[in-house]
Amino acid sequence: MQPKKIIQSLSELPTMPSTIGTMAWNETGDWRYLTPLITNKLAPCSQNCPAGIPIPSYLNALRNGSVQKGLALLLAHNPLPGLTGRLCYHPCQTKCIRKKVDRAISVQKIERFLADIGTEVKIEKSKIEDKRVVVIGSGPLGLSCAFYLSFRGCQVVILDPSNQAGGALLHLPPEKIEPLALANEIDRLILLADIKLETGAVIDFEAPGESLSKADLVILDPTGLSENFTAPVRAVAFDPFDDSTVNGDIVALTLPKNLKPFKAPMIAHYIAVGRLTAQRAFDCLVMRSGLQDLRQSSPDLPRQAVNVEDIKIERFLASDIAAKAEAKQEEIWDGERTLQEAERCLSCGTCNLCLQCVSFCPDASIRLDEDEASVRVDLDHCKGCGICAYECPRGIITMEEIST
Amino acid sequence: MKKVMMGTEAAARAAKLARVQVISAYPITPQTVIVENLADMIGRGELNANYMPVESEHSALASCIGASMAGARAFTASSSHGLAYMHEMLHYASGARVPIVMVNCNRALGPPWNLYCDHTDSLAQRDTGWIQYYCADAQDVLDAILIAYGVAERALLPIMINMDAFYLTHTSEVLDVPDQEKVDIFLPPYQPSTKLNVDDPKTFGNVCGADLFTSIKYKRHCDTLSLEKLWDETSAEFRGHFNRLHPTVEAYQTEEADVCVIGIGTGAGAMRLAVDRLREEGLKAGCVRLSMIRPFPLEGFKRAIANAKHMIVIDRDVSFGAEGIVAQEVKAGLFGHHGDAKLTGFIAGVGGNDLSADTIVPLVRQAISGNGTAVRAGKTYWAEVLP
Repeated sequence: MQPKKIIQSLSELPTMPSTIGTMAWNETGDWRYLTPLITNKLAPCSQNCPAGIPIPSYLNALRNGSVQKGLALLLAHNPLPGLTGRLCYHPCQTKCIRKKVDRAISVQKIERFLADIGTEVKIEKSKIEDKRVVVIGSGPLGLSCAFYLSFRGCQVVILDPSNQAGGALLHLPPEKIEPLALANEIDRLILLADIKLETGAVIDFEAPGESLSKADLVILDPTGLSENFTAPVRAVAFDPFDDSTVNGDIVALTLPKNLKPFKAPMIAHYIAVGRLTAQRAFDCLVMRSGLQDLRQSSPDLPRQAVNVEDIKIERFLASDIAAKAEAKQEEIWDGERTLQEAERCLSCGTCNLCLQCVSFCPDASIRLDEDEASVRVDLDHCKGCGICAYECPRGIITMEEIST
Repeated sequence: MKKVMMGTEAAARAAKLARVQVISAYPITPQTVIVENLADMIGRGELNANYMPVESEHSALASCIGASMAGARAFTASSSHGLAYMHEMLHYASGARVPIVMVNCNRALGPPWNLYCDHTDSLAQRDTGWIQYYCADAQDVLDAILIAYGVAERALLPIMINMDAFYLTHTSEVLDVPDQEKVDIFLPPYQPSTKLNVDDPKTFGNVCGADLFTSIKYKRHCDTLSLEKLWDETSAEFRGHFNRLHPTVEAYQTEEADVCVIGIGTGAGAMRLAVDRLREEGLKAGCVRLSMIRPFPLEGFKRAIANAKHMIVIDRDVSFGAEGIVAQEVKAGLFGHHGDAKLTGFIAGVGGNDLSADTIVPLVRQAISGNGTAVRAGKTYWAEVLP
């Protein structure tokens, strides 16, 4: 604190009633009990998505004109967007911050649009297939599990005793999902992941066929098999939410009560469980073989990804997809065009230096950094009022109890 | 350049010529034309200013105070109930010593609802510490706003330029619009020595004890008193540039006048006509327009009424239970200087009643003879009331 100056004459009084000297010494930051934390984070829509899809990322690709990249990002996190675009209850939209401005982004419409224009896939076979997995049942869970195992470098075969792939999805009425759309979704997943699909397969563990006998791991998909199907005695139950490790050679997936029997609006949950199961199953295979080197992503081998973020799908997609999207733009809904809808996304979770926080801070304690790439809080003077967090249109400022 | 303009258009043009940087206002009849004009000028790119739309007059003035403290030349305009709603911020502006210029369109306060001329709205804000100037015509509006910025920024005090609703806001006159280059010479940009600056932080309007509080208020009182002189000096400077004078006190035929009619606002024109007519009748009459009410222009007023024996004050306002507010001001101005003078106060022209020579002449006759239609109520006489 500076020494106090005693005003002793009228001439020393400032005309404007203010302090005479600087108040920079008065570090009001020690009044604060909540601290603004400015950090990029998962957008509220993604946080609320059962499949954890990074929605603003792919909407951003669309906004930048890259339909191919947008669809690739979507497919990496959700290999069945045509199903979610029709069946999912879209909890992402209920958390959309854009609702405060006008209305939520119609993620559902965009998802379905992308799925429907991007059905064509280039066939490319390239991976080191040193592990073989058989998934029995081609329901959404089994398809998702097979997709992610395949993109981790496994040779995957799906066996389904029925004559048509889709499992529980086949029982849905056509107004929920048109048979052609369902077939397109499954075809794309199979081709993208380079999976072998055998329908009408005879499943006999006592006299296994070629695929079954060579498998390092067999996974039974509860959404793909009828209730009459009897799991072999050797099968070990596995609940991906409870169990962290897969035991045995035959894994009978079990589901929590809210997911059984199959409920179509929960489609994204099944896709997420499939992905989680694939992760656990792969960890088990790696552990058993001791092959640590498998766990390295290879950019040359696109189906050799360690994490979902490493799954690169763009190269498999048809290059004329942008033109197709453009042509389909003629289809409008409620007077809105689908790709323009993506432009409404506020890119929540990512600071785009709109500087709302800077203008609203009553203590001028948030400033643009000198490199003009981020905003910085002057903690010596921030009183922790929280106006910045309230005003941030992208939800990246939160008030936290941080001891400073 | 000669232009035909309404008073409100003249006010907007003056703000533009003053190169105001921040405008924040809330529309109210009859002020609306001013802010609409300014918004248009900004929209067309003719005026480089920040227009802040707000939800109320209170916020409008609060925004101007912030802008002015940050060093911007700020402008606002209001009227009647809008001005009443600003009351708290009026005190803040003068206390913070921010040189805001505001145009107030004098309109009656309801209920009963009335959109027309009445001076009670601004006179009720007499003690908020604002300088109050009352215009006689549209040229006066345009010029006074320019002079006001010059005075306000020198004295660091806010100024309210008052114009009569409809008689001035919505009637057109031919007026001389000065060139921008000449205005820029008369009125250079506002450059305060102290302002809100995050890189040199100071506390403004901070808590202060009784010792300093008294001295700060005393200093403001002295600075406000000095405004009469500062206005007249700045006004003389303005005449040097534009050859038009806008004094704090405007006297007409007062030398050798026994009877002196006193008023504010547009009524001055009618008062001059009445004086001419009364002089034809042989009465030694004169008139005084007080263009400034705060500070009360004591020096100019004393000179103007030096020889008058009977003052007749016409108020377009009233302080209920007392008398006309201008009459009170005049009495306070006379006290101790002109003790034997007689004063008769009339309330006339309120709520939009026309104040013409035909209204004023009979009132003067009644003041002298004691016979007339104006009704006595306490110390004042009300013209134009039902029998």
